[in-house]
Amino acid sequence: MNVDLELVQRVQAGDKKAFDVLILKYQQRIVHVITGFVHDPVEALDVAQEAFIKAYRALPNFRGDSAFYTWLYRIAINTSKNYLTARARRPPASDVDAMDATNYYDAPELKEFETPETRMMSDDLEQGIHEAIQALPEDTATAIKLREFEGMSYEEIAEVMECPIGTVRSRIFRAREAIELQIQEIMGEGEQQ
Amino acid sequence: MTMNQNELLSALVDGELQGDELDQVLQILAEDKMATAQFKRYQQTKDVLNGYGERGLSYNLANRISLAVEKEPVYSQHMTELKSKANVITLPTPFWKQMTGLAMAASVGALAVVGVMTQPQNNLVSNTPIAAIEAPSEVIRVAQTGARWTVDEPEIEYRLNNYLLDHNEQTGSSGVFSYARVVSYGAE
Repeated sequence: MNVDLELVQRVQAGDKKAFDVLILKYQQRIVHVITGFVHDPVEALDVAQEAFIKAYRALPNFRGDSAFYTWLYRIAINTSKNYLTARARRPPASDVDAMDATNYYDAPELKEFETPETRMMSDDLEQGIHEAIQALPEDTATAIKLREFEGMSYEEIAEVMECPIGTVRSRIFRAREAIELQIQEIMGEGEQQ
Repeated sequence: MTMNQNELLSALVDGELQGDELDQVLQILAEDKMATAQFKRYQQTKDVLNGYGERGLSYNLANRISLAVEKEPVYSQHMTELKSKANVITLPTPFWKQMTGLAMAASVGALAVVGVMTQPQNNLVSNTPIAAIEAPSEVIRVAQTGARWTVDEPEIEYRLNNYLLDHNEQTGSSGVFSYARVVSYGAE
């Protein structure tokens, strides 16, 4: 089942709540993309909101020819460029290709806007996540690594690990719970500092 | 919130739901705010794992967008279909195939016509037999006689002439403008 497409079809059929799920799924990535254009985090949130509303308005035209995120990504890029043009700022000459949208973390266009504080927090998180994964039982760690770092589907992971899909799902869930706890801990420490 | 529900939310984050699980999970999200918060946390964990910024960047963004979207019209299947049809005129596939074939045939035909037009027009030359052409009273020499080469040795001159002749023949057949520069030892 293509969950994104199902959700889009539900929105097209009048279920606005399905759009909320799409917002929750992609808000962070979209803000991250927009921050590459609009450096001010507050402005970036405004542009992200505008992009999502534009996407909602254009949703009846979405026919599923491309992945929903690729489509949304294009809208976000165009909204950012329009925003900069309206503010008489020059938009960047190049942007990250939509095909690489899911790998844009490594794009230098986006890296250069990091601050030392966000970099430090990211480093702490990275280390915390690494430690959390190391502490997991081997099967659980393998499942989450294959999912998050190798981008495999549950079916592919089940094949690799020679176990039912349901087991893969449970392992990934347990791994996520453990990592979630670790992140909460790090974020809590970060707030105290 | 049960473990099973959380597992469903985790699977939703990965877009890995089966059968009617999407209905179930949407129902859970609609009825339980804790479930929405949990889903948000799982999603943020996934985003962090994938390197999409630190958590909490867009705390209230989802709420802001949801509130803004509430003011937007609710779509219906009928409306979506109408809007979609209004924007795109879908033509049957065989029509496109026919059009593509026709366009290719037309292109080839046009190329052939242009090719023929640019060939030397032999039939414009008079068909008068050669014997019937009157010989001109004086011969016009195109090539200049005289010191073409600065060498005194007839053998070298002969070879250079042959070389030039070969060159002209080659360039003539390939359509390249004939031009040659020959450098040789000077006679001192």
